[in-house]
Amino acid sequence: MMGTQLLIKRWVCGVFIGALALAVTPSFNSSAQRAGVARTIKPALRRITETQYRRTIADVFGPGIKINARFEPEKREEGLLAIGNAELSLTSSGFEQYFALAISISDQALGERQRATSVPCKPANPNQSDDVCARQFIESYGERLFRRPLTESETLARLKTASAGAERSGDFYAGLKLALTSLLVAPEFIFRVETAELDPANKGQYRLDGYTKATRVSFFLWDSAPDHELLTAARNGAIHTEAGLKQQLNRMISSPRFEDGVRAFFMDMLQLDGFENLVKDPAIYPKFNQTVSDSAREQTLKTIIDSLVRKKRDYRDLFTSNDTFINRPLAAVYRIPFASNNEWASYTFPQSSGRSGILTQVSFLSLFAHPGTSSPTRRGIKVLEIFLGELTPEPPANVDFSKVQDSSKGTVRGRLLDHMNNKGCAGCHRRTDPPGLALEHFDGLGQLRTTENGKSIDVSAEFDGVKFDGAQGLGKLLRDDPRVPASLVRNIYAYGVGRKTEDRDEAFLSDQTKAFANIGYRLPDLMAQIASSPEFFRVVVPSGVHRASSTPVAPTTAPKKTKGVSR
Amino acid sequence: MSLPIDRRSFLRGMLNGAAVCVGLPFLDRFLNGNGTAFADGARLPVRFGAYFWGLGLTDTPTGGTRWVPSKTGRDYELMPELESLKPVKDKVSVFSGFRAIGDGRPNLVHWSGHASILSGVAPAATGRFDGPSFDTRIADAIGTSTRFKVIDIDASMSRQPVSYSTRTGNTFATPETTPLALYTRLFGAGFQDPNSDDWKPDPSIMLRQSVLSAIKDQRQALMAGVGKADQIKLDQYFTSLRDMENQLAIQLQKPEKCAACAPPAAPKETPRSASVDAVRANTRAMARLLAMGLACNQTRVFNFVHTSGTSETYIAGQSKIYHQITHDEPIDAKLGYQPETSKLASIVMEALGDFLVELDAIKEGEGTLLDNSLIMAFSDTGYAKIHSIENIPMFLAGRAGGRHKAGQHIHSTGESVTRVSLTAMQLVGAPVGEFGSGTMKTARPITEVIA
Amino acid sequence: MKRYLIATAVTLLTIAFPGSAIAQQPSRSAKWTKTYVVEWNEPAMYYGAKTGVIDPGTDCPNGTNPEIDWVKVLVDAGYTLEEAKWLRNPANPTRSPVHGQNQMAFRGKDRANVYVNPTSTPDPGLAPVTGTTGEGVNLDGDEKTGFTGPTGEKGIDNNFYKCLGCWKTYRGPRRLSSGALQFNDSMRNGAWTTVIVVAGEGADPMNDDKVTVGFYVSNDKMVKDGNGNIARDYTFRIAPHAKYEGILPARTSNGKIISTAPADIMLRDPGYTRDLELLRAQVNLEMTPDGALTGYVGGYRPWEPVYKGWVNARGPVIEVLTWVQLPAVYYALRRNADYSPMGTDGEKTHISFALRIDALPAFVMTPDASKEVASVESYKAIAPKETDKPALGTYVVDGIVPDRSGKFQAGPNAVILPPSASATNKNQ
Repeated sequence: MMGTQLLIKRWVCGVFIGALALAVTPSFNSSAQRAGVARTIKPALRRITETQYRRTIADVFGPGIKINARFEPEKREEGLLAIGNAELSLTSSGFEQYFALAISISDQALGERQRATSVPCKPANPNQSDDVCARQFIESYGERLFRRPLTESETLARLKTASAGAERSGDFYAGLKLALTSLLVAPEFIFRVETAELDPANKGQYRLDGYTKATRVSFFLWDSAPDHELLTAARNGAIHTEAGLKQQLNRMISSPRFEDGVRAFFMDMLQLDGFENLVKDPAIYPKFNQTVSDSAREQTLKTIIDSLVRKKRDYRDLFTSNDTFINRPLAAVYRIPFASNNEWASYTFPQSSGRSGILTQVSFLSLFAHPGTSSPTRRGIKVLEIFLGELTPEPPANVDFSKVQDSSKGTVRGRLLDHMNNKGCAGCHRRTDPPGLALEHFDGLGQLRTTENGKSIDVSAEFDGVKFDGAQGLGKLLRDDPRVPASLVRNIYAYGVGRKTEDRDEAFLSDQTKAFANIGYRLPDLMAQIASSPEFFRVVVPSGVHRASSTPVAPTTAPKKTKGVSR
Repeated sequence: MSLPIDRRSFLRGMLNGAAVCVGLPFLDRFLNGNGTAFADGARLPVRFGAYFWGLGLTDTPTGGTRWVPSKTGRDYELMPELESLKPVKDKVSVFSGFRAIGDGRPNLVHWSGHASILSGVAPAATGRFDGPSFDTRIADAIGTSTRFKVIDIDASMSRQPVSYSTRTGNTFATPETTPLALYTRLFGAGFQDPNSDDWKPDPSIMLRQSVLSAIKDQRQALMAGVGKADQIKLDQYFTSLRDMENQLAIQLQKPEKCAACAPPAAPKETPRSASVDAVRANTRAMARLLAMGLACNQTRVFNFVHTSGTSETYIAGQSKIYHQITHDEPIDAKLGYQPETSKLASIVMEALGDFLVELDAIKEGEGTLLDNSLIMAFSDTGYAKIHSIENIPMFLAGRAGGRHKAGQHIHSTGESVTRVSLTAMQLVGAPVGEFGSGTMKTARPITEVIA
Repeated sequence: MKRYLIATAVTLLTIAFPGSAIAQQPSRSAKWTKTYVVEWNEPAMYYGAKTGVIDPGTDCPNGTNPEIDWVKVLVDAGYTLEEAKWLRNPANPTRSPVHGQNQMAFRGKDRANVYVNPTSTPDPGLAPVTGTTGEGVNLDGDEKTGFTGPTGEKGIDNNFYKCLGCWKTYRGPRRLSSGALQFNDSMRNGAWTTVIVVAGEGADPMNDDKVTVGFYVSNDKMVKDGNGNIARDYTFRIAPHAKYEGILPARTSNGKIISTAPADIMLRDPGYTRDLELLRAQVNLEMTPDGALTGYVGGYRPWEPVYKGWVNARGPVIEVLTWVQLPAVYYALRRNADYSPMGTDGEKTHISFALRIDALPAFVMTPDASKEVASVESYKAIAPKETDKPALGTYVVDGIVPDRSGKFQAGPNAVILPPSASATNKNQ
C-alpha cells in the first residue's frame, strides 16, 4: 500500500511541476483559469463560520442537503467573532468533523436521485472514469466552493482522485464523490484565502483581486459565498469599477437575502451565539427551556430585520421603540396574552411595561445574567461593550473582598453600591454597574419584577454625569449618545473587513459616522456606503510574507479587454 | 526504522499473555519516536489525562484545615475535602504548596494559574496561552498509535465549551460536551470493535486517503504569499490533516484484541443543567464512557474539564453561583474557613472521586485501567476568594504502569507548579527533560514519586 | 338554567382583524375576569390513611380492595379447576399478553358475557367506603345527607366516592391514585386541555355577587416547565365544542367561588368514559393568593356510561390490573345511584359525583384568537359537528378484543383445552 502511495505522490508531483511549467508562460487565451504573470500575496486567511458554511452548501447544492455536525467553537475579539475568527485554525477533532461532513455532503449531492441535477454531464461509461465529464464537474463546483476558478494544478489533483477512485470502485460517481470531498475539506474552501494582486492603477501597490472583493461583499451582505452574477463581475473586472461595484451592491441590498447578512451581523454584535449553551436553574426560572431560548433569539433578530431592513427605520430606535414580535412561549415569559393564530405576531409593549427596545427583550436580559439571578454588572459590561464599544478590563486579582462581602443588604443594588464606594473596585464598577442597575426591574430570565426581598427595587442610576431612571431612561441615554452610532459604524466596518480597526482608520470611521447621521441612521445605506468606499478593500500587507518565486501560483482576474491596460 | 525482534511477539511474551491492549503502529513513517518507548522493553506506554476543575479548594494561603494534609509521605491523612478520594487513596499523590510564578506579569484571574501549569509560562492576556499546553507533547509522544491522538471532554455544561488544550496558544481544542456526543465520537461510526472476529479492512478508507493526498499536494502553492501568522494557522491545519491520515492508517490495520474492551450502549440524552448535581452526574457518565474508550484503545491521551475556571455551577434552587460564593462568603470566625464554599468544593472533589473510581473499575492485566494511567488533576487557583495562584491543588492519580510511586503527600514551600507538570510528563514516558520559562523553568522532576 | 346567547360571539367573528397584529382589548359586560387552565383533575376521593396509597384507613378499614383470586372466580363461575388454572396460565396461547384472557368475560349464567350482561352473575360485592369524611359538593342542599368534608363542611353528596372509593384505580392521596396518574399524564402531555373563565360584574373579584364560571375546551396544548410541572401564563384559545362546555352562575366571598344556582354542564372526563355529563352541577372553588384556582365541580353524572367506559377499555385488562370484578362495579353504581332527572319517582340513572380540580393562571382568548375573553358566554352554536370517536376504536367488542387471526375465539361455547388434554389429542 505504501508503494502505491509513493507512486501516486510521484505522479502528482510530476503533474504539479508540469502545471507550473504551463503557468510560467504568460497566456492571454480566453480561459480565465490559466494564470497570468502578476505577483500575488495573501493578506488574510479566515475560517468561514458555521452559518457561512451552511448557507454556501445550501446555495451550491440546494436546501435538501442535511448537515449534521458539530462545528468548531469561534472566538470573540473586541466584541466580534468576525475579528476573533481571523486567529483561528482547525484542530484535529475539527478536521475530523469537517472530513466526515464533506463525505456526507458528497454522498447526498451525488446520490442516485440527485446526480441527474447536480452533474452537468454524463460519463461515457458509468462504470469507468471519464476525465472530460469529471473535469466539468470539478471546475464548476470548485469555482463555487473556492470562491474563484481553480488552478490547473488544483483541478488535476482532483481529477486524479476522481479517476483513481472510479477505476478502483468501478463507479464513475464514486470517483466524483471523492473529488468533491477533497474540495469540501480543502483549506481553500474552509478558509477565506484573501488574495491581493499588483494594482494596475497604482504601481507597486496591491489591490484585492476581483474574487476576493466579491467574496468580501458577498459575506458582508448575504453571509454566503458569491453567486454566479458576482463571480462574473469578478471575472470580467466589473467589480473593480465604481459603477460595476455599485450595481452589485444595489442588487444585493435590494434582495431578500440581504436579511441573512444583517441577521449574521447582529448575531455577532449582540453575541447571540451565547444562546447555544445557555442554562438557567429550573428551580428559579421554570419557564426557561430550549424553545424559549430559541424564541428569544429569534424575537430580537426579527425585531431588527423588520425595523432596520424592511421599514428602514433609524438605528437608534432599537433602544426606545417597543415594536417587536412574540410567539406563544415568549408571551408566557413576558406574561402577556398571545392573540394570534400564527406562530409569530407583531406586538408593541405599552409604556407601562417599563420595557425599552432590545435592551429589555428576553434575549439581552437572559443572556447576560446568571443561571438563577440577574446580574447588573454583567449587563452593564455588555451594554458598554456592545453598544459603546468600550471593553472592560478583568478584575484585579488581589481585590479585598472583606469590604463588600455582606450580601444581606436587601437588594443586589445595595451590594453593588458598596463596590462603587470602594477604591479598588470603583474604577470599573462606576462605569459598568449603572446601566445594569437601571435594568434591575427584569430578573435573570427577563421577567418583570419590581420588588426584591419585599423591598421595591430602585432603578435610578448615573452614568457619565447624567442621571437616569430605569430601562426607559437607559434607552433614551443610548439613543442620544453619539458614541452609539459611532460604535455601530466601527463594528460594521470591522465585521466586513475581518480585522481590528487601527489608528489610521479613525478619520474614515469618523466620516462614515457623520454620513450615517446625515442619512437618518439607516443601516442598509450605511452598509452600501462602507462597501463602496476604498477602505473596505484596503490591503493590509501582513508581516513575514512567505516570498514565493516570481512564478505565480494563484489565478488572477483576466485582464479587461480594453486598450492600455498595463500589467 | 525497524526493530530486530517482531514487536508483537516481544510484548506478548513480556506480558505473559495478560489482557492488555496495546495498539501498534503499522507504517514506519508514523513512528515519531515511539520506537524508543518500545525498544527499551522496560515500560509499557500508559494513558495520560489532564483533569481540570475550577475554583480550587478552601485552604487559605496562610494555612488551613480543609485539604492540605499535615503529614507528608505515604501516611498522609485524608482531609475533609479529599474524603472522596478514599477508594483510590493509595493510587493518588497529593501536591501542596506549589505555585504559579508570573515573573512580573499580572495574575489574570481564573487563567494564569492553570495556564502556567499547562504551558509553563504565565500568559500575557486572558483567553490565550503563550505556549502549547503540555498534553500536546504527550499526545505527540504516545498518542499516534491509536485512532484518536487525543480526546477532549468538557462536562461542565458551561455557556461556552471549555478546553485548555492548545498547540498555538490561540486555538483551543473542541471538546465533547455530552455523554451522547462522546459516545458517538468513540463508539459511533468509524469504531472498529477490537474483539470482533470478522474484521476486514474497509476499502473506502483507502479511497479517503487519496482525498487527503490531493489536498496535501497543494500545500506549497497555498503557502506562497501568506503572512507569518497565517502560516501558523495553515501549519496547524496540515497537522490536523496528518492526524486524520494517521487515523485512517490505524483503521486499516487489524486491531489487537482487548479483553477489557466491552463497547457500551448509547447513552440517553439528558436535559441540560449546570447545577452541581447535574455536572457531577455528567462527569460520571462521561468518565465511564471515556474509561471504556481507553480500554478499547481508541485513544491514549485525554483532557477533561469538570468545571471551567469561573465555574458558574450552583446548588439547585440557590440563586448564587459557586464563583460568587467564593468571593462573597466571609471566613467563619469559629470554623476558620468558608463553610458554603467548602461544601461546594467537597461536591466538586466527589466528582473527581467518581471519575477515578470509573477508571479503577475496569480490570486490565493484573490491575486496573487506573493502574495503567496517569491523571494530573489540578485547578486554576489555590484560594478562589482572592484569586491566589499559590498552593494550587494538584494531584497525580494512577500508577502509570508502575512508574508512579503513588499514595504520597508532597509539600513544597513555594516551588513552581511546572515541577509537577514535568513529573507527569516523565512518568508517562514523554521524552522531556525540562519544562517552563523564566522562574518557572525547571529540569527537576519530583523524584520521590518516580519509581 | 340560564344560558347566555351567542349574538355577541357572532358579532365578534364578523369583525375583521388585520393580519396578525395584536390589538388592545376593550372591556365588555364583565368588570373583571380571571382565567385558568386545568393542570390536574381527578374524581374527588378522600384518602383516610396517614401513609402509603393502599393502606387501611378511616375510609377503607381493610385498605384498598384486595387482589382477586381469579382461579376461584372462574371455578365459582362453573369452570373446572383445571380449566380455570389453564385460563389463568400465561403459557395458554389464547391469553394475549396485551389484551388478556378473553374467556374471563364468559362467567355469567350459561356462560353469558358478564361485561355486557353484568346481572348474569350474582353481585361479587365491592367493599364500599365506610368512613364519614368525603370531598365534593353539597348537591341537594341537605346537610343531613352525605359526607362531612375534611374542613368540616356538612352534607357533601358523593355516592360515586362512597361506592367506588376503595377501588384501587380510584383510591389514594391527592394525585397519587393510579387512575388519576394515568389520565392526567395523558392530558398533560397534550391529549386535551380544559380552560376555566371566571367573570364578575362587581368591583372586587374576591367578593362579588354576580359571577359566572365557564368551562371550555381548548385545542392548544399545555406546556411543561423545566421541572415537569405545567407552566403558567400560556395562552389558550377557546375551541367551541358541541358538547363540552359548562356555564355556572356563582358568587365570590373572600376568594371562594360558590354556585348560586345549579346548571347542567358537560366536561371532558379524565377517564375512559370521555363525556362527563353533570346535572345540577355546582362549583366550590377557591382563588388562592398565588393566583391559582383549586376546588371542586360536582353534579349528578350518569352511572351506566361509567361502567361501559371500563368495559370498553377491555374487561380482562381492567379487572386484572385494577383488582376488581367489573360486574361488582355495575352493581355498586346501580345500588348507590341517587338521582333521576325525571323526578323522585324516576329510575335513578345518575349518581352524585365531584371532580377535584387544580388550575393555573393562563390567558384565554376568544375562538378567533383576537382578544382575551371578557365575559363568560356559550360558543356551542358555532361549534363544529361532533364526530363521535370511541376511545379505543371499534376493535373492542363486548368488552374484549377478538382475536384477529380467528384462531382462538372466546365465548360461551369455547372449549378450553389444558395442555394434558391437547397433548393426548395430538398423540391420537
